[in-house]
Amino acid sequence: MTQQDLADKIGVTRQTVNAIEQGKYSPSLEAAFRIAAAFDTPLEGVFHYSKD
Amino acid sequence: MPFREKSAWISLLSISLIYGLYFWSVVHAGPHAGFHFGSLLATVIALIVAQVVLHIVVAIAAPKEAKAPRDERDKLIELKATRIAYSGLATAIACACLFGALDPPIVFNTNALLFVLVTAELMRTSCQIIQYRRGA
Repeated sequence: MTQQDLADKIGVTRQTVNAIEQGKYSPSLEAAFRIAAAFDTPLEGVFHYSKD
Repeated sequence: MPFREKSAWISLLSISLIYGLYFWSVVHAGPHAGFHFGSLLATVIALIVAQVVLHIVVAIAAPKEAKAPRDERDKLIELKATRIAYSGLATAIACACLFGALDPPIVFNTNALLFVLVTAELMRTSCQIIQYRRGA
Protein backbone atom coordinates (compact mmCIF):
# COMPACT_ATOMS: atom_id res chain seq x y z
CA MET A 1 0.00 0.00 0.00
CA THR A 2 1.41 3.38 -0.99
CA GLN A 3 1.30 6.49 1.19
CA GLN A 4 -1.27 7.97 -1.20
CA ASP A 5 -3.48 4.85 -0.92
CA LEU A 6 -3.40 5.04 2.87
CA ALA A 7 -3.97 8.80 2.79
CA ASP A 8 -7.05 8.33 0.59
CA LYS A 9 -8.39 5.59 2.88
CA ILE A 10 -8.08 7.59 6.10
CA GLY A 11 -8.95 11.02 4.65
CA VAL A 12 -5.68 12.92 5.06
CA THR A 13 -3.01 14.15 2.65
CA ARG A 14 -0.03 12.04 1.55
CA GLN A 15 2.23 14.57 3.30
CA THR A 16 0.45 13.88 6.60
CA VAL A 17 0.97 10.13 6.22
CA ASN A 18 4.64 10.82 5.48
CA ALA A 19 4.94 13.04 8.58
CA ILE A 20 3.34 10.31 10.73
CA GLU A 21 5.74 7.68 9.33
CA GLN A 22 8.73 9.88 10.07
CA GLY A 23 7.53 10.50 13.63
CA LYS A 24 7.24 14.24 13.03
CA TYR A 25 3.47 14.39 13.55
CA SER A 26 1.32 12.56 16.09
CA PRO A 27 -2.09 11.83 14.57
CA SER A 28 -5.38 12.33 16.41
CA LEU A 29 -6.88 9.29 18.10
CA GLU A 30 -9.51 9.12 15.36
CA ALA A 31 -6.88 9.11 12.58
CA ALA A 32 -4.86 6.50 14.49
CA PHE A 33 -7.92 4.21 14.68
CA ARG A 34 -8.56 4.75 10.96
CA ILE A 35 -4.96 3.77 10.14
CA ALA A 36 -5.26 0.64 12.28
CA ALA A 37 -8.56 -0.20 10.58
CA ALA A 38 -6.97 0.29 7.13
CA PHE A 39 -4.41 -2.39 8.02
CA ASP A 40 -7.07 -4.49 9.78
CA THR A 41 -4.96 -4.64 12.91
CA PRO A 42 -5.30 -3.38 16.50
CA LEU A 43 -4.00 0.09 17.38
CA GLU A 44 -0.95 -1.28 19.19
CA GLY A 45 -0.05 -3.19 16.02
CA VAL A 46 0.61 0.12 14.28
CA PHE A 47 1.61 2.58 17.01
CA HIS A 48 4.11 2.15 19.83
CA TYR A 49 4.58 4.52 22.75
CA SER A 50 8.12 5.39 23.69
CA LYS A 51 9.08 7.65 26.61
CA ASP A 52 12.21 8.86 24.77
CA MET B 1 4.81 20.37 -2.11
CA PRO B 2 1.22 20.18 -0.76
CA PHE B 3 -1.42 22.59 -2.05
CA ARG B 4 -1.74 24.32 1.35
CA GLU B 5 1.98 25.09 1.40
CA LYS B 6 1.79 26.46 -2.14
CA SER B 7 -1.15 28.59 -1.02
CA ALA B 8 0.91 29.92 1.90
CA TRP B 9 3.79 30.75 -0.48
CA ILE B 10 1.35 32.59 -2.78
CA SER B 11 0.07 34.65 0.16
CA LEU B 12 3.57 35.37 1.47
CA LEU B 13 5.01 36.45 -1.87
CA SER B 14 1.99 38.42 -3.09
CA ILE B 15 1.56 40.27 0.22
CA SER B 16 5.30 41.00 0.43
CA LEU B 17 5.47 42.32 -3.11
CA ILE B 18 2.20 44.26 -3.36
CA TYR B 19 2.11 45.72 0.16
CA GLY B 20 5.87 46.23 -0.10
CA LEU B 21 5.28 48.51 -3.08
CA TYR B 22 2.47 50.30 -1.22
CA PHE B 23 4.58 50.94 1.90
CA TRP B 24 7.55 51.93 -0.24
CA SER B 25 5.35 54.58 -1.91
CA VAL B 26 4.11 55.75 1.51
CA VAL B 27 7.66 56.11 2.85
CA HIS B 28 8.79 57.75 -0.39
CA ALA B 29 5.93 60.29 -0.19
CA GLY B 30 7.18 61.52 3.18
CA PRO B 31 5.60 61.88 6.65
CA HIS B 32 3.30 64.77 5.71
CA ALA B 33 1.82 63.24 2.54
CA GLY B 34 -1.33 62.07 4.31
CA PHE B 35 -3.42 58.96 3.76
CA HIS B 36 -4.49 58.10 0.20
CA PHE B 37 -7.51 55.81 0.22
CA GLY B 38 -7.34 55.29 -3.56
CA SER B 39 -3.81 53.95 -3.35
CA LEU B 40 -4.78 51.50 -0.60
CA LEU B 41 -7.88 50.40 -2.54
CA ALA B 42 -5.74 49.73 -5.63
CA THR B 43 -3.33 47.72 -3.47
CA VAL B 44 -6.12 45.59 -2.00
CA ILE B 45 -7.65 44.94 -5.44
CA ALA B 46 -4.23 44.04 -6.90
CA LEU B 47 -3.64 41.64 -4.00
CA ILE B 48 -7.03 39.93 -4.44
CA VAL B 49 -6.54 39.59 -8.22
CA ALA B 50 -2.98 38.26 -7.84
CA GLN B 51 -3.97 35.71 -5.20
CA VAL B 52 -7.05 34.50 -7.10
CA VAL B 53 -5.12 34.12 -10.39
CA LEU B 54 -2.18 32.32 -8.75
CA HIS B 55 -4.47 29.99 -6.79
CA ILE B 56 -6.34 29.14 -10.01
CA VAL B 57 -3.03 28.35 -11.77
CA VAL B 58 -1.89 26.11 -8.91
CA ALA B 59 -5.32 24.43 -8.71
CA ILE B 60 -5.26 23.68 -12.46
CA ALA B 61 -1.82 22.06 -12.06
CA ALA B 62 -3.02 19.80 -9.20
CA PRO B 63 -6.85 19.72 -9.18
CA LYS B 64 -7.17 16.71 -6.86
CA GLU B 65 -5.07 18.33 -4.11
CA ALA B 66 -6.86 21.65 -4.52
CA LYS B 67 -10.29 20.06 -4.11
CA ALA B 68 -9.31 18.06 -1.01
CA PRO B 69 -10.45 19.60 2.27
CA ARG B 70 -7.90 20.58 4.91
CA ASP B 71 -6.94 17.57 7.00
CA GLU B 72 -6.21 17.59 10.75
CA ARG B 73 -2.51 18.43 10.26
CA ASP B 74 -3.33 21.38 7.99
CA LYS B 75 -5.76 22.69 10.61
CA LEU B 76 -3.19 22.27 13.41
CA ILE B 77 -0.51 24.07 11.40
CA GLU B 78 -2.94 26.91 10.67
CA LEU B 79 -3.93 27.17 14.35
CA LYS B 80 -0.29 27.27 15.51
CA ALA B 81 0.59 29.90 12.90
CA THR B 82 -2.44 32.01 13.80
CA ARG B 83 -1.58 31.83 17.52
CA ILE B 84 1.97 33.04 16.87
CA ALA B 85 0.80 35.81 14.53
CA TYR B 86 -1.86 36.89 17.05
CA SER B 87 0.81 37.18 19.76
CA GLY B 88 2.83 39.43 17.46
CA LEU B 89 -0.23 41.49 16.55
CA ALA B 90 -1.34 41.87 20.18
CA THR B 91 2.16 42.91 21.26
CA ALA B 92 2.39 45.49 18.46
CA ILE B 93 -1.06 46.93 19.28
CA ALA B 94 -0.20 47.10 23.01
CA CYS B 95 3.02 48.95 22.11
CA ALA B 96 1.02 51.31 19.87
CA CYS B 97 -1.45 52.04 22.70
CA LEU B 98 1.40 52.64 25.16
CA PHE B 99 3.24 54.82 22.65
CA GLY B 100 0.03 56.77 21.96
CA ALA B 101 -0.57 57.35 25.68
CA LEU B 102 2.86 58.98 26.02
CA ASP B 103 1.81 61.84 23.70
CA PRO B 104 4.31 60.96 20.97
CA PRO B 105 5.87 63.38 18.52
CA ILE B 106 4.96 60.97 15.69
CA VAL B 107 1.33 59.90 15.37
CA PHE B 108 0.71 56.17 15.04
CA ASN B 109 -1.39 56.67 11.91
CA THR B 110 -3.51 54.41 9.70
CA ASN B 111 -0.56 53.29 7.59
CA ALA B 112 1.43 52.29 10.66
CA LEU B 113 -1.48 50.20 11.96
CA LEU B 114 -1.89 48.68 8.50
CA PHE B 115 1.81 47.83 8.53
CA VAL B 116 1.33 45.99 11.84
CA LEU B 117 -1.62 44.06 10.38
CA VAL B 118 0.29 43.12 7.22
CA THR B 119 3.32 42.09 9.28
CA ALA B 120 1.10 39.82 11.40
CA GLU B 121 -0.26 38.19 8.22
CA LEU B 122 3.28 37.70 6.94
CA MET B 123 4.18 36.10 10.29
CA ARG B 124 1.19 33.76 9.95
CA THR B 125 2.03 32.59 6.44
CA SER B 126 5.75 32.32 7.27
CA CYS B 127 4.98 30.14 10.31
CA GLN B 128 2.77 27.92 8.13
CA ILE B 129 5.56 27.47 5.57
CA ILE B 130 8.17 26.75 8.26
CA GLN B 131 5.94 24.07 9.80
CA TYR B 132 5.22 22.49 6.40
CA ARG B 133 8.96 22.51 5.60
CA ARG B 134 9.77 20.85 8.93
CA GLY B 135 7.09 18.25 8.29
CA ALA B 136 5.45 19.06 11.63
